[in-house]
Amino acid sequence: MRRLVESKAFRRVAVMLSLAVLAWLVVLPLRESTTNSTLFSLTLMLTTIAISINWNLTGGFTGYVDFGHAVWFGIGAYVTAILMTKQTSGLGIGWPAFPAIVLGALIAGGMAAVIGKATMRLKGPYFSIAMLGTFVAVREIVRVASPLTGGGVGLTLPPYLNRQLFYYIELGLVVALICFTWWLRRTRFGSALIAVREDEVGAEMRGINATRLKVTVFSFAGGSTGLFGGLWAFQNTFVDPDIAFVESRTIDAVMGTMLGGIGTVAGPVVGSAALYWLREVLWANFLDYHLIIQGLLLIMIVLYVPKGIVGLFDPRSTSIVTLWSRWFGGESVDAYGSSEDLVQMNDSADSTNDHKTEVTS
Amino acid sequence: MSQLLQVIINGIALGGMYTVLVLGFSIIWGVLGVINFAHGEFVMLGAYTAWLANDQLGLDPFLAAPLVFLFMMMVGFAVQKILVNRVIDRPHLVSLLVMFGVSIILSNGMKLIFSADFRRNDTALDGSWQLMDGVTIPVTKFFVLLAALGIVSALSVFLQRTRMGKSIRAAAQNREAARIVGIDVKKVYAITFALCIGITGAAGALISPILAVQPFQGPPLTLKAFAITAMAGLGSIKGALGGAMILGLIEAGLAIYISGIGTNLAVIASFVILVVALVLRPQGLFGGLRPVDAMAS
Repeated sequence: MRRLVESKAFRRVAVMLSLAVLAWLVVLPLRESTTNSTLFSLTLMLTTIAISINWNLTGGFTGYVDFGHAVWFGIGAYVTAILMTKQTSGLGIGWPAFPAIVLGALIAGGMAAVIGKATMRLKGPYFSIAMLGTFVAVREIVRVASPLTGGGVGLTLPPYLNRQLFYYIELGLVVALICFTWWLRRTRFGSALIAVREDEVGAEMRGINATRLKVTVFSFAGGSTGLFGGLWAFQNTFVDPDIAFVESRTIDAVMGTMLGGIGTVAGPVVGSAALYWLREVLWANFLDYHLIIQGLLLIMIVLYVPKGIVGLFDPRSTSIVTLWSRWFGGESVDAYGSSEDLVQMNDSADSTNDHKTEVTS
Repeated sequence: MSQLLQVIINGIALGGMYTVLVLGFSIIWGVLGVINFAHGEFVMLGAYTAWLANDQLGLDPFLAAPLVFLFMMMVGFAVQKILVNRVIDRPHLVSLLVMFGVSIILSNGMKLIFSADFRRNDTALDGSWQLMDGVTIPVTKFFVLLAALGIVSALSVFLQRTRMGKSIRAAAQNREAARIVGIDVKKVYAITFALCIGITGAAGALISPILAVQPFQGPPLTLKAFAITAMAGLGSIKGALGGAMILGLIEAGLAIYISGIGTNLAVIASFVILVVALVLRPQGLFGGLRPVDAMAS
């Protein structure tokens, strides 16, 4: 079993499968039978995946669990909406969509840098709750600042319907994000992020500037989520504080990432897609109960599959592999405790070796 | 002058309300090290129980509070046995997420049973007393304050004087040492959790005539409880009282002096106070059962 999972063939099959899914997603809109509502629904799924990937950058790689990540989505959406609305843009005319969306992402990223600089001084649960507080506070500020944001009434954007275009834009962006995280995880910067998660003091002693690292990745994640917020606002053609700042966007990101495997590259993608599919099933069959089932699911995942779906196939974690060997015997269990600890020790030794060179860079 | 007096009265009344709300959260965190993210939902559960007692039996919420306390203690005991026991030794993310799951289940379950309608619980202790020209005392909040002071003193006596209370404090300070001297730490944890959920439920019953009872009233209360606890010190009764009063006075001041948006600003206030307090005094303002220790590296 272990050999199977680690084998090249297994890897190859996984890559082939993902490429097949991607190809299917690319040709899907070209089929006659695909309706606009299907496309919009798929676009929303891509948005959820993107938010999960971004959340995983701070929550999974650096270990700073952000309970208010949806705030960047709302800020991106609101900046786009404010710029595109004639009355509030400050120019007398509404901005064209794409500059507005890009500026929205930049502002979200900039604000993430400023707020992250303050809140990332806090650790563990204090950071989580400070971010939840930020989320609630920003929503309240948006509600109060009515001359700019329209207050509780919200803003209506000029309608523009080309679902296909947005679908392809978001598909492209999500693929780019996946490639980016895959690449990031293999750079020295990515290893340094993991080092901060495992032992922040130790990482700093190795010469890693933990604060700069954390804030950089936090700001990137915020900006990227803001970008998707702007895209969403344009497609939704309407924003108000209660639909632009929704807790469930954070919840979905956390759950998707946990389900797929926190701290892995593929985890948020697999988990969010699985969650999306699961939710369609739950929605269709248990309309009233679906959130309760989701809550139960969250508890089950956290308690029983803490490494998520991807973790099940990762030979280095508590997974099918270790369970398999525990039940049926095999090479991976030795007398000195479970092999995963040993592998993890080797792993952390590897990652510390990675950072020795960080000082000089 | 009368306005300032009114702000102080409102602030203290609000502070009394926050005190009962925060006690259970603070002690669970201080003793078990578990951040009860479903705190607000337990308040909501207590409020619904009191509302039911009033609706079905005609019981005044102030009289129902002791019954709600007993009922919620049983709920707390069950939750502790089924879930909390499994997460005590795990990293904080695990307990946070598990309790988060509990909060989703509770709020949506209550919505399913009672619908999302806002409900108000009636009490005989209603209205306001005219103190002098332009200054009034809200009667319900005054009695909530009295109840809060009663609970605070009873809890202090329990923690300081009784054998069980001493065991709880010992387990909070040093778990291993407590175990060595023969304290059944598991039992202590179970009793602490049940007791705190009981107090939290009673708090829900007490505030049910003040805040509308509805399934989604929990999260803002959790946030406030967190802010007060982290600011004042984990598991500190004195801190819960002091922190709640500080927040109450600030919110009352904002609501009166800044017209129109003051109540919205009050939502932000607790968060701003939290961050400022954590950065300036990371060990908590009043000390507590365990250090706050909020700074990263």
